[in-house]
Amino acid sequence: MGLPLERVPDEALLSGLATGDPEIAVAFVRRFQRSVYGVAVAVVGDPRLAEDVAQQTFERAWRHAQVYDGRRGSVRAWLTAIAHNLAIDAVRARRAVPVAPEDLETLVGIVSETPERHALADDAAERVRRAVAALPREQARALVMAGIYGMTAREVAAFEGIPLGTAKTRIRAGTIKVRALLEREETR
Amino acid sequence: MDCERLREEGAELALGILPARERAEAVAHLDRCPDCRAYVERLTAVGDGLLALLPGAEPPVGFESRVVRAMATAPTAPTAPTAPTAPAAPAAPAVGRHRTRWRRFRLAAAGVAAALAFGFGGWAVGTVVEGAPPVVAPGPHVLEAALISPERAGDGREVGRIYAHPADAEGGNGWVYMSVDLGDVRAVDGPVRCLLLRADGSTVPLGSFPLRAGYGYWGAPSPVDPGTLSGARLVAANGTVLATAHFTTPEVN
Repeated sequence: MGLPLERVPDEALLSGLATGDPEIAVAFVRRFQRSVYGVAVAVVGDPRLAEDVAQQTFERAWRHAQVYDGRRGSVRAWLTAIAHNLAIDAVRARRAVPVAPEDLETLVGIVSETPERHALADDAAERVRRAVAALPREQARALVMAGIYGMTAREVAAFEGIPLGTAKTRIRAGTIKVRALLEREETR
Repeated sequence: MDCERLREEGAELALGILPARERAEAVAHLDRCPDCRAYVERLTAVGDGLLALLPGAEPPVGFESRVVRAMATAPTAPTAPTAPTAPAAPAAPAVGRHRTRWRRFRLAAAGVAAALAFGFGGWAVGTVVEGAPPVVAPGPHVLEAALISPERAGDGREVGRIYAHPADAEGGNGWVYMSVDLGDVRAVDGPVRCLLLRADGSTVPLGSFPLRAGYGYWGAPSPVDPGTLSGARLVAANGTVLATAHFTTPEVN
């Protein structure tokens, strides 16, 4: 007898997808669907399109379950990266501008929101959140446009109505500052 | 591209938004500059971390069953050359040499050789950077081939995969990526040369890269139009042909 599927580690569950066992597939989808769909809907905005992206994500994970290499990150990070990529592709295929201004503002607020319940936490995600919150607003916007919506520096420049060099500087400065803040916290 | 330029564009590379031509130049630089590679590796954590901040969301009712049904009817079934780790025994995964080799090949077969070739971690950059060539599967214009060792051709075992990506729309260079694992029998340490073979029989030296214990991965801008490519050859420092590849249509969807 083994562990109940709910308690099987992520990597083992992913490996089990290759067996074609529908119970394992259900357990796998159930475990990760909120994360995958969350990324998809944040990037594409449209629930119907996000569902398509999330479904494609799981199909790809299933087809390439053996590709996963735990040395490079968690199963969840792998899945969300696949979803992110697919979502960016889906948006680009449908819209010239990857994000509406109001959606960008909302998302910048989400990733830099630091209420007390977040401030007290000390996991990796909350350290990133605090670091993003510490950025000047224009750098946080540039970082979200580049890192989440997959916008190039040229697209960021056009969106913000700023010179290309300024967009590049904001992206670079935001990324480096967040990294520096993370490293400072990690060494404490 | 030099180090100063790389440092200017490292964040865009790490976030996966550098346009194709600059990306190829940056990757070529990273291939020969460990310091810049380490620099970009550090920055990739920012992109990964941003994705982790996105809130989870409940998909529509019925999503779970639709996905599982789609998996069951998808045209390409997963292959399992080694026994998969059974969920019933998760504490004892089979992580032997063979499995490691196979994982490496599956990585290449799934079109993520580009991420490997860059040599730095981070799923976000690994997958987004390869977004121009498609993420998980090579596109219709990407040539893909198995690298076959002459001594192993008889038993049909690959010792790697090679991909030739076409030039982008702006006329930049194409790229060639490969992953090689000669296995236990022919552990090779040291540099190997890669020659591209044209359909007219001529050869074009692409460059060299190191193998460690027979294993290595590499990517480089390619001056050759994939349309004229017929194959590739890996040659050891002593002139021994380690592997050859013959390009055909992509086999992975």
